[in-house]
Amino acid sequence: MKDIFRGELVRITNEEPDVVAKASVRWQLDSEYGRLLDSESIHLFSEKAIKNWIEKNSESIKPERYQFSVRTLAEDKLIGFFGLYVELIHSEAWVGIGIGERDFWSKGYGTDMMNVCLRYAFLELGVQRVSLGLHEYNPRALRSYEKAGFKLEGRTRKDVLREGKRTDTFWMGILRDEWMAQNGAAL
Amino acid sequence: MNEILKGKFVRLSAYDPKEMSNAFSRWNRNSEYIRLLNSSMGPLQSPKRAEKWMDEEVGEMSPASYYFTIRTLEDDKLIGELGLDVVDWSGRDAFVGLGIGETEYWSKGYGTDIMNVLLQFAFMEVNLRRVTLTVFEYNPRAIRSYEKAGFRHEGRLRQLLNKEGKRWDMFYMGILREEWLERNTVQG
Repeated sequence: MKDIFRGELVRITNEEPDVVAKASVRWQLDSEYGRLLDSESIHLFSEKAIKNWIEKNSESIKPERYQFSVRTLAEDKLIGFFGLYVELIHSEAWVGIGIGERDFWSKGYGTDMMNVCLRYAFLELGVQRVSLGLHEYNPRALRSYEKAGFKLEGRTRKDVLREGKRTDTFWMGILRDEWMAQNGAAL
Repeated sequence: MNEILKGKFVRLSAYDPKEMSNAFSRWNRNSEYIRLLNSSMGPLQSPKRAEKWMDEEVGEMSPASYYFTIRTLEDDKLIGELGLDVVDWSGRDAFVGLGIGETEYWSKGYGTDIMNVLLQFAFMEVNLRRVTLTVFEYNPRAIRSYEKAGFRHEGRLRQLLNKEGKRWDMFYMGILREEWLERNTVQG
């Protein structure tokens, strides 16, 4: 069987909480990153608070939650993360993904991460679909998710207020059959 | 949509820790019941201890674990209990355990009715792919009932049990979603 923890450019890892906290405390200073990541207002947390939060979340192993750090294969550098939240009854997973190291933006790392993520979701967790949401003002992510096979399924209009402007949230999804049609031959 | 928690003779109900712990300690005095239910003899449990167990273990809300009490439709009498635990979400397999503590309800079709309701819940609500159970060789009544509900024999652990100086096998039985669907016309 293939090493499902490895893509073309990155591998996924489980880091010690203090390693993730150290990286996150630096990434959060990039306000553009924070605004692309979610619709929370920008926060700056202490390294200790982040570490505590990570430790609390990893206390128990749950079949709903899967969280990974991402390292580059070339430099073994910690550049980002992704997480899957599974709606167990309906066999659907929601994905959150981010590259905190902006030097690694627009170079195919995100798409590679998402490919690893989808392979894990469909082949290991066995879910029937994967869903995500993103901001209208994040065309780079939209393009990357499309490359990974996601389809734009809808939008909630003007639900996010950023810098005095209301913007839409896009909702995307990919079905197991679609993913298998694209990737099944290589298995 | 169907009323999925109700069968011909019984319904699945929520547990009341007080009522259940009292029932437990009464049912547990019947050594035959315990032997049919579990492979280990286990201590006789006080109502208090049973209630503590229910609060701590059963009370935890989770999509992986379901616990029901069983009541008759006719007189709303508490006659048994039922647990469904999802073992593996990628395979969508769950393990079922079922017991009728009130012995006057044995051999009258209640067990099969309970299992039919449980399977409907497992396949139509939890969307499982298969349901698994184990049963002891010395419990032919249960084996027959599970067969009637659609379970198939899948394997056995030979001479696992030692009861009254004799060795007995433990059987594994299972039913797949497709098999259940084939047997049950679903209206929806």
